[in-house]
Amino acid sequence: MNETMTQNLLVFGGVLFVIGMVGFLTRRSLILMFLSLEMMLSGVSVNLIAFSRHHQNYQGQILAIMVLTIAACEAAIALALVVSLYRRKATLDIMVWDELSETLMPKMAEIPYTSEEIEMEFPKLTPAGLDPMTRPISANFDAQSTENGESVKASSMEAGTHA
Amino acid sequence: MNLLLFENGVSQLIPNWVIFAQTSTEVAIGTTPSSDTITGISSMWIPILFGALSYVLIQHGIIKSRTWVGAGLLSLLIAAGASFGFTDFSLESCILMVFFTIAAGGGIGFLTAREPVYAALGFTSAVLSVCGVLFMQSALFVAAATMIVYAGATIIIFLFVLMFAQQTELRNYDVQLNKPLFSAVIGAILLATITLCVTSANAMLPIKTDSTRALSAANLPDELSTEAGREVARKLDAIDPTLRFIPKSTAGLGRSLYTDYLLAVELAGTVLLVATIGAIALAQRSTETSS
Repeated sequence: MNETMTQNLLVFGGVLFVIGMVGFLTRRSLILMFLSLEMMLSGVSVNLIAFSRHHQNYQGQILAIMVLTIAACEAAIALALVVSLYRRKATLDIMVWDELSETLMPKMAEIPYTSEEIEMEFPKLTPAGLDPMTRPISANFDAQSTENGESVKASSMEAGTHA
Repeated sequence: MNLLLFENGVSQLIPNWVIFAQTSTEVAIGTTPSSDTITGISSMWIPILFGALSYVLIQHGIIKSRTWVGAGLLSLLIAAGASFGFTDFSLESCILMVFFTIAAGGGIGFLTAREPVYAALGFTSAVLSVCGVLFMQSALFVAAATMIVYAGATIIIFLFVLMFAQQTELRNYDVQLNKPLFSAVIGAILLATITLCVTSANAMLPIKTDSTRALSAANLPDELSTEAGREVARKLDAIDPTLRFIPKSTAGLGRSLYTDYLLAVELAGTVLLVATIGAIALAQRSTETSS
């Protein structure tokens, strides 16, 4: 067997294993985490078969068969577990089952998913009060006096318009 | 050659092009020391690209933006071409590279698809091309068993996914991921380490013949007991020593499995039985009448 091809096979097994590992770490759905585990196991199988071919004996293939057996057992038990967990809380989220995790860890912020991009939309209100650009508030403006000064200002404005 | 290739009924399952690929690989053998270092450098493309790609695609999602999908596919093709450019050109390596690329693409699709059904489809394509790779490595029984177990399990999971996730809108836990940057960095580091260790010079140990498992007799085929068989074996050894290993693969595997590793087979059967009982006990609906 060509050594370069064995190396390629080992790198390929590593790629599969890493894809499964990243999927297992990032995914939050129980079923997809279980699928990631299966992907990691298939990467291990590729590794074993490559070494079986390299050394020209059957030990790697037999180990791969054992890995397959364990994968089948794991599939059965994991699916039963998923069913019983789904019956309890009616969700596949792994974050629901965190009673055993450390209480000091901060909770992940839940961002509700929306399919379309969030657009910033400013509310359109009817303008009220005085426009500060055209009539700037003076520096010695007293907010207390505006309670009873409203009518004074209005009357002065009326007086200004009348004048 | 016909004596070895077609004596066993099981060995007829092997198509001729596999053997042709083996003989054509022999022509391309002859790795110079410089090609090892070139392989090591070219393989470094893979972890870097995969790390960056996985993070980017995880963040953006494969179903939202077609530009990112195109960019991901392009970089995958570039990585495949870069690693293919430094391997020996033969029929076997071509087919293997195609399988590698399909498997890696399926894995990336599995990793990045937000909808569970698409993720399961990517997983299925990845596992089926892994079966192709195993078939090319003359592990016929393991390839068939992997196809049956994984594809069967995947079909069951498909049913589960369709049962649980019938809603048209996506759930929150399907979309939001758990620390994608952290995971992508860890995965890229692990892949880079694996690649460096595997492709470094003198990483491959020499072929070691196992003499402790005499019953499996992987290196002692039955044909060696006759003079004609020894003659054929000598001719095959002159071409490629692995040729003698290929045709008897499944028969030798069964013989090895049921002689040397009989205890392991029994233990595997026991584990399967325990797993069946455990699955039934776990999935059973707890009745109210039970005290």
